[in-house]
Parts: sequence; C-alpha cells; structure tokens
Amino acid sequence: MKNETVKIQTLTDNKRMSTQELLQLINSKIDEGYTDFDIEACGQHNIGGSSWACDKISSLNFKITNPGQRVGAMALPHTNIYVEGSAPADVGWLNSGATIVVNGDCGDTAAHCAAGGKIYVSGRVGTRSGALMKHDPKFELPEFWVLKNTGSFSFEFMGGGIGVICGWDCEGYESVLGSRSCVGMVGGTIYVRGNILNVADCVKIENLDDNDIEFLKNGLKDFLNKINHNDLYDKLINFEEWKKIIPLPSNVKEKRITASEFRKNNWIEGGIFGDFIHDDFKVFPMPAVGEGRVRIPKWNSENCIDCKVCLNNCPNSAIVENNKLYSACDDKCIGCGICAAVCPKKCWEMISNRCEIS
Amino acid sequence: MDAVKINQLHLDDLPWIIEYDESKCIQCGKCSAVCSFGAIKPVIENRRIHSNGLQKPSFNKVLVIKQQISLENYCRGCGMCSRVCPNGAIKAVRNFNDKYSVRYRAAKADSFKKGGRSNLNTEGRTLDKIKVGRISQMTDPSLDAARHQFELRTPFGRILSADKLNLHNENGEMKLSNQLPPNRWIYPVIMGDMSIGAVSWRMWEAMAIATAYLNEVMGLPVRMCTGEGGIPVRLLKSKYVKYMILQIASGHFGWNRIIQAMPDMTEDPAGILIKIGQGAKPGDGGLLMASKVAKYVQEIRGVPRADLLSPPTHQGLYSIEESVQKMFLSMNAAFNFKVPVAIKVAASVTSVSVYNNLLRDPYNIVGGFFIDGLAAGTGAAHEISLNHTGHPITSKLRDCYLAAVHQGRQGEIPLFAGGGLGQTGSFAADAFKLICLGANGVFTGRMLLEIAGCIGNDTGKCNACNSGLCPAGIATQDLCLTKRLDIDAVAQNIVNYFIATDIELKKLMGPVGNSTLPIGRSDALITVDKHVANRLDIQYVC
Amino acid sequence: MCRIGAIKSKKYLHPSIALKLMRSQQKGHDNSGFAFVMQDLGGIFAAHKDLPTLSMAATVEGTRKAEDILHNLGFTRVLQWTPEINHQKGLKIEPMPNYIFETFQYPKSHKYATQEEKEELLVDTALLLRKELDEDNSGFMYSFWPDVLTLKEIGSPKDIGTYFGLWDENEELCAKVITAQCRQNTNYDIVRYAAHPFFLEGYTILANGENTFFEKNRDYQQSLYKAYIGFESDSQCFLYTLHYVNKILNWPLKYYKHTITPLPYEEIEKREDKDVLLRIKASLSHLEINGPNTILGVLPDGKLMCVCDSKKLRPVVVGRTDETVIMTSEVTGINDVLPDRDTSLDIYPNEKETIIVNDDLTVERWMQ
Repeated sequence: MKNETVKIQTLTDNKRMSTQELLQLINSKIDEGYTDFDIEACGQHNIGGSSWACDKISSLNFKITNPGQRVGAMALPHTNIYVEGSAPADVGWLNSGATIVVNGDCGDTAAHCAAGGKIYVSGRVGTRSGALMKHDPKFELPEFWVLKNTGSFSFEFMGGGIGVICGWDCEGYESVLGSRSCVGMVGGTIYVRGNILNVADCVKIENLDDNDIEFLKNGLKDFLNKINHNDLYDKLINFEEWKKIIPLPSNVKEKRITASEFRKNNWIEGGIFGDFIHDDFKVFPMPAVGEGRVRIPKWNSENCIDCKVCLNNCPNSAIVENNKLYSACDDKCIGCGICAAVCPKKCWEMISNRCEIS
Repeated sequence: MDAVKINQLHLDDLPWIIEYDESKCIQCGKCSAVCSFGAIKPVIENRRIHSNGLQKPSFNKVLVIKQQISLENYCRGCGMCSRVCPNGAIKAVRNFNDKYSVRYRAAKADSFKKGGRSNLNTEGRTLDKIKVGRISQMTDPSLDAARHQFELRTPFGRILSADKLNLHNENGEMKLSNQLPPNRWIYPVIMGDMSIGAVSWRMWEAMAIATAYLNEVMGLPVRMCTGEGGIPVRLLKSKYVKYMILQIASGHFGWNRIIQAMPDMTEDPAGILIKIGQGAKPGDGGLLMASKVAKYVQEIRGVPRADLLSPPTHQGLYSIEESVQKMFLSMNAAFNFKVPVAIKVAASVTSVSVYNNLLRDPYNIVGGFFIDGLAAGTGAAHEISLNHTGHPITSKLRDCYLAAVHQGRQGEIPLFAGGGLGQTGSFAADAFKLICLGANGVFTGRMLLEIAGCIGNDTGKCNACNSGLCPAGIATQDLCLTKRLDIDAVAQNIVNYFIATDIELKKLMGPVGNSTLPIGRSDALITVDKHVANRLDIQYVC
Repeated sequence: MCRIGAIKSKKYLHPSIALKLMRSQQKGHDNSGFAFVMQDLGGIFAAHKDLPTLSMAATVEGTRKAEDILHNLGFTRVLQWTPEINHQKGLKIEPMPNYIFETFQYPKSHKYATQEEKEELLVDTALLLRKELDEDNSGFMYSFWPDVLTLKEIGSPKDIGTYFGLWDENEELCAKVITAQCRQNTNYDIVRYAAHPFFLEGYTILANGENTFFEKNRDYQQSLYKAYIGFESDSQCFLYTLHYVNKILNWPLKYYKHTITPLPYEEIEKREDKDVLLRIKASLSHLEINGPNTILGVLPDGKLMCVCDSKKLRPVVVGRTDETVIMTSEVTGINDVLPDRDTSLDIYPNEKETIIVNDDLTVERWMQ
C-alpha cells in the first residue's frame, strides 16, 4: 500500500496519451500498490473502470478532470470516482458497484446498464440515460441520482434499480425526463420531481408512499452531501412535488372491444343495407335446416305406395307421415336428398331453395 | 341398357373427381346437403351379391354419394363435402386429365367464364425473389419494432413540388397562398375495391365495419374502396363515409344514388377512384353475372336482373388528355375540389406513358395512380382474359416510379400497387418490398377474400365466384349461402389481419432503421436473380 | 461515428483550435483524415473578403489546368497563399503535390454584375473546374467562394497539422468561423470529396451518423439544382437540402428541420400551422433523412446552426464564453479549448431543437 496520490497528465505538448497507454499506466500503478489517482485526462475512455487489485486494498480512489466516454465503466465495489466538471457519454456504463460522482453534466446514456453501485450527478444527464439499468438480486440495488434533468428517451428498457431525477432548476421545463421516456421499461423505480411528458404506455405514474419518502429522505442526504449541495435538502423534500414511475405488470393486456361489439354499439343501426335487407346476422351452420338449406325436398303424392322407405332412411328423422301424406320438417331436414334417392317411386324431388334476402 | 357414347361428357373430363369411400360413409347426407353446386347427390346403386353360381345372380341396392357428370353441376373442388363429413369418407381430388374447358366451349359455343384468379401462373413471383437485405448492422442503429415510434402513413392526393406550393412568408411563418389540391394522410394499405354485387352484402358490410373499427378503435387510418356497385345511402350519410374511397368505373353503377345523397352527406368521402381497368382482366369491362344481380343490387345499381357488363372503356373518354380534362375535373368538382381523385389502371406495357402524362398534367388534379397487376382477383371474367392477359405488378410499379424520378417528380402523384399481394402468405412483406421499389402504398381485395374464408386458390380450387354459388357466402347473393358468412367473424379477422400486418411492417422497418415508410428506398432490397436485379435496378446478390 | 465541431468567435482564430477541439474526441476512425472550412477570414485574406478564394489540391497538371480555366474566364489573381510544408519524415499523410489557396478578382464582364450574377458565375466556374479536374484525376476543387477556405487531407490529424504547420498559431491564417472533422469517410474507398465539412454557396455542413434515406434524397436532389453533384458521402444530402430549402425556396431556416425530420402526422394535426407543415411533409418527403444524425452548419450570414434527428439522437454539446461558441460531439473537446466557461450554460440539444448561434454569439433555441 502506498499512500501518495498518483498524478497523471495525459497531454504533453501536442502529444496526447492514448486510452490504452493511460489505462495500462493506471493498472501498473495499482499493481505497485497505489490506490489514489489524480488524472488530468484528455478524453480517454474507461477511466476508473474495470480496475481491481488484491485483497490488501480497501478502496480505489480516482479524481478525474475531462474524462472521455465510459468513465467508471465496469467498475467494481469499493471504487470511488470523482469527476470534476462534465463528462461525455456512458458514465458508469455497466457499473457493478462503484460510487461515481460527476460534479457537472453527463452526456448521453449515463448509467447505461448499471447493475450496482451509485452514480451521483450534480447537473444534467443526456439522452437515453438510465437505459437498461438492472438489478441482480444477489447484489445491491443500483442507484442513479441526478440533480437536474435527463434528455429524451431516458430509462429505455430499464429492468431494475432506482433512478432519482430531482428536477432542480428545471422550473418551466415541459418534462424533466425529456420525451418518450421509459420505453420498454420492465422493472425498477424512477422517482421524479417536476413535469413529466409522454412517457411510454408500459409504465404507470404514482404518488409516493411512506417507504418511498423514507428512501428519498435518506438518499437525498447522501446524494447532496456527495455533490456539495446540502443547502438544497429542504427545497427538495416537499414530496407532494414528487412522483414515482414503475412498470405495469407485463400481463396487463389492453382489452379491445370485439368487432361484434363494435357492430352492435357503434355501427350504423340496422346495418348499412337496412333499407333493403332485414338481416339478423345469424350464421347458418353447415349443413343447415330451414331456410339455410341449399335444396329442399318436395313430396308428390301421385305414385306414393306408402312404403316408408324415405321415412326410415332419413338421417335426421325429418320426414313425417300424416294420413299417408308425407312431408319433411323444416326444422330437421338438411336437404340432403336421401329421400329422393331411396324412394322406389320417385315421389320426392329436390328443388332449389336458393333465394334472395328481402 | 345404358350405353355410353364417346362424345358424351365423362367423369374423366371434369376438373375434380370425388373420391368416396362407401365403407366409411354413414349416410348422414351432410355432404350432399352443403354442396352449393349440386355436384354430388345420394343415389341408389346396385351391388351384385356374390353367389355360388347355381342361382341367378341377385343385387343389393345400396345408397351411395355420387358425383354428377354435367357441364353445369360439376365439382369445383371446393371441399365443403369433406369439411362436413364426420368420417372422412369423401373428398374432391384434382383430375390431371381434365378436359372441362374444351368440352364446355365445344358444347356451348361460348367463352368459358370463371371467377377468382388466374390459374395459369407461368411467371413465378418476382416479389418472392426479393429480400430485405440492407439491415442496419453498426452503420446505423436498427429500431425496435415493438417499442419505437413508427409512422405508417402515406399521402393520398396530388402533391405539388415545393416550389409550386406558392407559400408566402408572413413574419417568418410560411403560409398557404391559394387552395392546393386535396391531400390525405392514409394507411399505406387500401382495402376493398370489390363491388356490392360481386360480393355478398355481409362480406361488403364486414369490410366496411372492419375499416371503421381500424380507424376508430385502432387508430389505423385504413381506407376502403367501394368498388363499382354503388354505396348504400345509409353509409353515405353516416360519418363513416370519410373512410370510403368511392369508385366510378365505366358502368357508373350506383352514382345516381350517390349524387342524390350528396346534399345530406355530413362528411366528405376519403377519395374517388376512377377505375379504368383491373389487373385480373385488363381491357375487359366489369362483369356481374345475372345470378348475382339480387333485388337490392338492382336497386342500388338501377338496372334489372341481367348479366351486367361495364364497358371496357369509359364511354366518352378517348385519350389521356381528355380523361384528365373531363373525368378528373368532374369528379373533383363533385366534392368541390376537396376530395382527392385517383385513377386505377390495369398494369400494361403502356402504364408508364399514362403516368408520365398524368405527372405533366398542368391542372394537377390527379391525386393517385393505382396500378393493378395480373395476379389480382375478379368476381367474373372470361377465362381467356383471366389466364392470358395482364402484366405483373412489380416491374411496372418500378418503371412508373423511375419515370417519376427521371422527371424529378417522385411522390407528386402517389403510386399504389396491387395485384396478387399476399399470394404466398405474407402480405406485409409484399407491401414493404413494393414500397421500397417506389409505391406510396398498396391495395388489395383478394387478400380480404382469403381472410374472410375463401376456400379457393391459384391452382383452380373453387374459383366459382362468377357462379353465384360461393360456398363460403362471400361471392354470392343467395340467402342460404350468404348466411353461412359470419359478419362479425369476417370483420374481426380483417381487423386482426391488419393489426398483424401493421406489426409486420414495423418488423421490416425496424431492421432497415426507418421510422417512416421507406418509399423508393430500393437500396434496402436485394435479389438472387440477376434479371430481376437488372430490371428493377436493385442489388444482385448470391 | 464521426466527431464533428463548429467554432464561431468574435475574434479571429487560428485553425489549431480545431485540431485541439477534436483531439480529445478521437475514436477509432477519427485518425483517418482532417478537413476544415474557414469562413469570415482574417489574416492575409482579410483585405479581400468580397472576392472569391479558390481552395484546391492538385497535381502540377491540374494546377495549370485550373489556372488556365480561370484565366480564360477572365478571373485575375489578387492573392496567393501557400502553406509552409513541413517535410518531416514519418508523418501519416497522403499529400497532394500542390495546395492552392488563391483569391481572384472577378472578370471585367462582371464588374457591374449583381450579387446573383456573381454567385452564378462562381457556381458555374466551380462546377467546370471540378469536371475538368475529375476528367484526368488531376485534383480536387473544394470551394470557390468569397471569404471561404477549405482544406481536406487524408492521414493522421496530428500529422496533417504538423505537415501544414497548423499547430503553430500565426496571424496569417485565421477566421471567425471554423468547422472541422478528424475523419475521412471510411465506409468505402477513401475519397477526399467524401470528407466533411461540405460547402456550397456559403452553406457549410458537417454531420454524423448514416443517412438511411440517402438513396431517396440523392434521387430527388439530382434534379433540383445543377450543383447537387458528387454524393461521395451520404451527408452531402444534408447540405443540399439546407441549400434548397433556405436559398432556392427561400424559406426561413426553421423549415429545414420540418423538411429533414418532419413531425409525425398526429403531432402536426394538433398545430396551428398544420396546413403548411403537412404540405411541406408531403412535397419534400424525399428529403426526409430518417436519421440517426446530428447536423452542424454554417449559414451564408455566418450564423451557426445545429439540428438533431428526431429518431435516435446523436450527442452534441454547445459550450460558450462571451467570445466564442463551440458546438461539437463531445464535451471533452470544449473542456480543452474553453476550460473556463460557465458549464451551466452548456446546451445539450434535444431531438426537436434547432440551435442558432447569431453573429453576436447569442444563442437561440427553436423547438420544432
């Protein structure tokens, strides 16, 4: 363990240290036992991320100016990163436990895929921030605290963890979450203070309950302390101004009316052909009886010998005899023509039942 | 003794042969009861009882189902019999020795007519040789079809180029200076274009209900074309007429009632479509066989029961210029120049000339160009037209689009393509490819028939729409057949199919990274066929 | 993704600021080239702000060809500036034999010509020069316009800077508006013309992201105006549309955004100006870009502009002091060159905004 802070300047004359050179330098210093770094960066990526050493070290501490993208990416617990000034995209990408403080603004996709640790931002965060945050139940909840607001499409596809957008200094904004936020959000909680406009329809917006307030009261203290804004505590704890956004359960499916209901309730009464046609809109089965038959049997008495072959062969027992007069019951006969086929005297004739509706 | 003569019609001449298994039959009579063609009947047949040869032979009488050998009551292969048979004892089987069309012509001295679609598919489907091949992979992000916002709307109506909009600047705000041709922003799939008469009242009303539902419940601005058979006054006077594109064809059927209803209409229709021709039978007029001219059809159309022929051309229109002058002007005037007026032509070698001319029309009154390809459907046509005339849609649509590009006027007259879309299952894929090739949208009638439960196909199954005996209740006016059709189920199925299509269109827009319709984005398409690549000017791949 | 930057200042700045601005933003391909356009020139060009300056890189043959063409048209040279080349070994650069930065007096025939006539002559001349140079591949004509200087080269930006001596500030070469990018288009064969910024008649554009409607845009633009040519990069479409909407149609600048990223129908329907917006959306539907892009631009009056696409936002930041405003892809670049600014004034434009930087460096934010 070495106590002194490693100071790194990444720009000498017009020569800029590459990301690879810088990260390898940091790692070699960690191997040597250094734990504290003060880095004057020039846009190098991944500073403070994916670095860890042996068990002897209790924490790694980075103070960084002008980092490039993905500061604190893939950072592990017991890593503390402090960025003085603004940082570009992907702050805390895949954060797995570090505490990252940005004393300034973050570019787009801050806290992207963060699944652990805490990210504290004293300014704004860009578009798609909080996207795909998630929570592995074996680890601590990831938290993402922003003093001001986010850009559009924030918290897309969020799967877990907590986002807190304090809406400070955002009076008059249409939405402190930008536009079209929470698209595809399936898990986690977002606390928001300020206006919210057109969030995705897969989430619901609720008032805070006692647990939420308790969480925010404690969390805000830590957060404001980290960003040196304890003065704002009293101004942010009017919880009437806060809302929480949580995803709707995935099994809630929007119920639409059926086309049948639409016809009965919304459509032109009596149907558009109602001036010509009186249709009850009942559906004939196949085969059908009554007027649904394509053909109907007609009995002719002349040659009948009363043999009852027709009556006996009718598959639907539709034929009745009354005083040696035969007929087919409309409500049983399907018009199959078997009577006409089996009659030895050709007494049954199948005639077309085709007709138009009136 | 019944002798057989060689010139007599024989079972083997017919296109379909009924295969009947006596041993499975329980003589329930359902098959013969449902056959709308009367192609099968129960009859008594003799069966010789096997004897030892010492007695005279004796015969048993058995009841069997037998196919009719007739030029009229012949089996169309619709398969209703096998649908209702509880034991699978009966089915229609295609006869590869079929000589029906020869026998028909030889016996009747008349042209052979049928409905449905062409059954002589010699072209293969170009659209199936095309794939969406320009997928966003790192050069730009794909969109998530389920979650991102997509806009599936296309303009309908004459679009003026920006320099002709004649906008003027009022304190930094551009304002319209004069009345411009009407524009509507509609869903890129237009349904219908099938007349009252060609389809049953239930089918037609189901389409209208589905259209209204898609608009009012789903928020999809789908428009339905009425076809040329008039429109019920109840619909004309309702608010739903705003979703309807009224068609006028050479027969002008039903326009009397439309005109009479105009003073009472509270909404303008979505548009007017002047039908010059249709893809299934180009150069042929409309045809509604007398059997389908039901009483209400007679009333709406203002004609007696007879075979109704719309002439092959509009009487009084002799040239493109005149058509534009007279017909478009009249139809525009009908609704005070507030309703887009479009034209539908059968795809033809000459389609590009027509389109070029319309683009150059100085009055800017042509609001859409509908091109109908040869795989479209029809209620009735001469077989010779249906199978042997026409032009595939894909290259024709492309030609028209590229002609517009050549003039620097793409999009000015929106292009809509139709004709056999969805033939191989996925309507959305066909629609998307045509849009990439330059279509603003597509239209379909035949897909709706399929959705409604049509049991016909492209290889001769059923295809009896002209007969008035549609066993599915779609293309008939008979009460007993029409009432087989469940109006609510049809409306629901159309609604569902459109919702599915909407999802699938987005599933294609997402991967190419577009949130709006990729009209003319042919760089998204590839083909494994060099000729197709060359002809359509898209990338050949292998 | 391309990193882009635009600088506007009240004082004349040396192009080294562009190199410094882009340095910290370097990504994978950002070392493939360096290109900048300087406008509102100071230094030795300050005396001839109303006369056209030719920016060109060419072979000896190409140089002679261009000079002959200009001579034959009646242009007379009033100023020539040649960068002092540092021939240090090992520099990653693929230099051209000659770099020509020359200012010309208009031909006598145009002595009393109107502004429009002069501009027409410059456009036609530029097109002719380009055509002639293309014919035998003897050079690249980048700009021929008053008060504009363009350089595009292939190689490492740092080394290109060294080669042309651009790291060392001097008062000869400076401007109040500088736009720059540290990358060539690496998607296809590397072509100098494909490098941002693109310039046409006072309009300059830089953009990042793929233009997914490139083919649609190009097909439509080709017939709109004679100078819409090249299309070596899909981003040239953004320039041509800006020029078309603002210059040829003479519509106010805010309609640029309505053209390239029209609002969805449902949103337009709710607006008072819906009639006009729907017409524009329909008439110019082939100029829609459908993103994802961020576009930085310079207008003929020297204003800076920034718009983002409404679909998938590409990041861009605006940082400012009283003297200088910078728009660039990442805040790191601004941190390097304007370290002492008030960062709470930084702007992260959203997908519906057009940002305008006026001549007095006031910043306007217009919502679409």
